Amino acid sequence: MDELEQLYQTTYTAVVRFLYRKVWDAERAEDLAQEVFVRALAHRPEKPRAWVFAVAANLARDEARAAVRRKRHLILLKGDPVALPTIEPAADTLVEHDERMAAVQEALSALTPRDREILLLWDAGLSYPEIAAQTGLALGAVGTTLARARRRLVDAHDRQHATKGSHAAHS
Amino acid sequence: MRHIPEEELHAYLDQGLSRSQCVEIESHLAACPSCQAERDSIAALRDRTTALLAKLAPPRGFPPAFELLRRRATIEVSARRRRTHIAAWAASLVAALGLGWTANYLLMPGRSESPLPIVSSPALSAPPTQVASSPTLRSRRPAPVRTRQASQRQSPTPSPDLSPAESLPPVVPAPTLELTSIDIPRTDPDLELEGMWRTLSWDGAQAEAGAQLPHIDGLPVVQVQLQAAERGKQPLMVVAQQLSSGEVIRTIEGPMSDVSHLLAGRTMTDPASQPGGSDSARSIRGPNHTDRTMAMQRGDRMLVITGALPSDSLLAMIRRLNAEMRSK
Repeated sequence: MDELEQLYQTTYTAVVRFLYRKVWDAERAEDLAQEVFVRALAHRPEKPRAWVFAVAANLARDEARAAVRRKRHLILLKGDPVALPTIEPAADTLVEHDERMAAVQEALSALTPRDREILLLWDAGLSYPEIAAQTGLALGAVGTTLARARRRLVDAHDRQHATKGSHAAHS
Repeated sequence: MRHIPEEELHAYLDQGLSRSQCVEIESHLAACPSCQAERDSIAALRDRTTALLAKLAPPRGFPPAFELLRRRATIEVSARRRRTHIAAWAASLVAALGLGWTANYLLMPGRSESPLPIVSSPALSAPPTQVASSPTLRSRRPAPVRTRQASQRQSPTPSPDLSPAESLPPVVPAPTLELTSIDIPRTDPDLELEGMWRTLSWDGAQAEAGAQLPHIDGLPVVQVQLQAAERGKQPLMVVAQQLSSGEVIRTIEGPMSDVSHLLAGRTMTDPASQPGGSDSARSIRGPNHTDRTMAMQRGDRMLVITGALPSDSLLAMIRRLNAEMRSK
């Protein structure tokens, strides 16, 4: 089995997850992940694992820019801000799952882009040196950033819970 | 005693420290209950983060077979090679089109008499590059140029005895061009230019056409053909030049009616349907070798570039040429 194929078997899911946390669309995340590996096959990078995540990050960034353009366009078309689609409650468990997920999503969006990026790279399984190489951060600063990002994520999440809880208590 | 900073404990738990750093931290931890407590709380924070992020996972899909991606990659690599090849061609073209058809003209769409890109027709069959793909003809010593000598159509004036050296125009500044790299395409016997055509040397053609031969600077000229026009008018000219890949592109300039007639005639000529069409010609001309044409019109004259490239590549090339010239 060639090196890239092995990498594909072991990291495809992590790449999809990494992308999903940026584009918030499962199908799109899979498409992009496949694109990443196709490019890896075409380029044969020296350090494929780090390369794969670097390209994934780039693709997600392009995707986000395109989404902003599309949104702007939609706004222009409609003349008013785009309403977020309302979630149809299919089943209680599903709703609960969605709510929990939305809470984490919101907490994640409260981080600075850099903190978020480093946290997601760590969660995707990259090592400190790989994270440092990809983000341009000094190796010694990776721990500092992760410490801050973790604290902020948990704080933001818990704060949300607290306000929701108090809302529930009032109503 | 210095306690372990928070970020170092994160790095320690994340296995982001060197062996010696780990030893140092472990020996401190063994003796410091406060740092032990800190380590435990950081470990809990780590676990919480991981658990929270785990909720942000897409529904598990099925990864496609790696073989499929491999196939896609193969296709994309070859497409990229093709693009690179075309880009190289465009770069050589940027040097300049000869003739009164300068890029200045091409690039001034505001001018009233300039209907811009006109023709983009597939299936224009220019003579195939048989020689380029037949190794036996890749002779290193200069062989006499073989031109289409359909005697009954040949000009009454005997065509000059051309050698490759003579057929190389003086405008080609060619440090990269060598005689041996120039293959003279045999013209496809199926494709006849109608009317009286003469194959000339570059110099002869220049004398006749008033130094206004349409061509792309930087590419070796393999054939020049002229068809006399009415007295006092510019003749219809076809200049064939060869790309490094062996493909031949043709630049045609002449009275509009003649050029369109020429193109129309060629469009109708399908080598495969012609009796006596040579097999080698057919085998070369796969579906990827359909000739495309870009044409521009000025007054009653027409300039055409045709070659075995996608029409959008030709268009891109011309745009680029225009942009380059404008920026000069």
